[in-house]
Amino acid sequence: MGKVIVVTSGKGGVGKTTSTANLGTALALIGKTVVVIDADVGLRNLDVVMGLENRIVYTSMDVIDNRCELTRALVKDRRVEGLTLLAASQKNNKDDIQPEQMKAICEELRSNNDFVLVDSPAGIESGFRNAAAGADEALVVTTPDVSAIRDADRITGLLQHEGVEPINLVLNRLSPEMVRKGNMVSKDDVVALLNLNLIGVVPEDRGVISSTNRGIPLVHDNSSQAAQAYMRIAKRLTGQRIPIPEIREKGFFSNILEWFSGNR
Amino acid sequence: MIFRRLFGRKPKSSSIARQRLKVVISQDRFDVDEESMHSLQLELIQVLAKHFDFQIDAVQLSLKQRGNSYVLTADFPHRRAGQ
Repeated sequence: MGKVIVVTSGKGGVGKTTSTANLGTALALIGKTVVVIDADVGLRNLDVVMGLENRIVYTSMDVIDNRCELTRALVKDRRVEGLTLLAASQKNNKDDIQPEQMKAICEELRSNNDFVLVDSPAGIESGFRNAAAGADEALVVTTPDVSAIRDADRITGLLQHEGVEPINLVLNRLSPEMVRKGNMVSKDDVVALLNLNLIGVVPEDRGVISSTNRGIPLVHDNSSQAAQAYMRIAKRLTGQRIPIPEIREKGFFSNILEWFSGNR
Repeated sequence: MIFRRLFGRKPKSSSIARQRLKVVISQDRFDVDEESMHSLQLELIQVLAKHFDFQIDAVQLSLKQRGNSYVLTADFPHRRAGQ
């Protein structure tokens, strides 16, 4: 029996989809079988972030309306073995799906996969409730800014009310330089405010934009700090105990190297 | 202002963010304002006064954080016999 984990945040634009794509890929890279579900009905994006947008034939809506078997609706990722995507319908809206239907899909998928990651839409309404309906655990993604942190606390309250446990925190887009200069709240501040278990810190990384441009999740190339951070979170999700290292500030030398390698 | 800026006395924006977040998060978590806390206190006094003797002017209602949740504590100091 696999685990069903909802990836959520309350606020939009903090990196839920990027985190789902990278963690799903990272888990598959370490040999797990993974299904990533896009629960953002009407505004799907997990497919483009993963580079699978041209291969979608069926969506979760087709499964719910019995137009297609669940296993046939899963799109296989060609870059890594064991990773599949269940896309969201672009022509429907969030109220066309009921929490029990989403739960049934998660239950069926967990029986033959190690992990089911559900990418939640922003907000606290029906889209979020559907995404959380079948989840045992949650990853709350936040960035170090006031609105994202406040919304993360709200969503945490709602998840606790639904009985989702454990709830782990992913702190995304942290800039060690800005923290040092006193212009960004630190990792410890965020943990103290939200009082959640921190499962990983992902540094601000411009490489995320180019990886999204290409539709290739960052973790395929393990060279950046952000990719390494996602790999560590994936390993922690499998139960490995890996300490959270302090994020290094990029020095003059690594900037020069990046400039020469031309991938930023 | 210029003087302050020159000498870098301006508080760091991260500590301002931290303080503001502490306030909004606790307000969000426990959605009660001053006024309703006060009327709750009055109602509790009315009910409890029927059953035992306590110092009305020493009654205290407070909200304390315990882990991720909040606990409402009410203190009703009992009046000792002969006082």
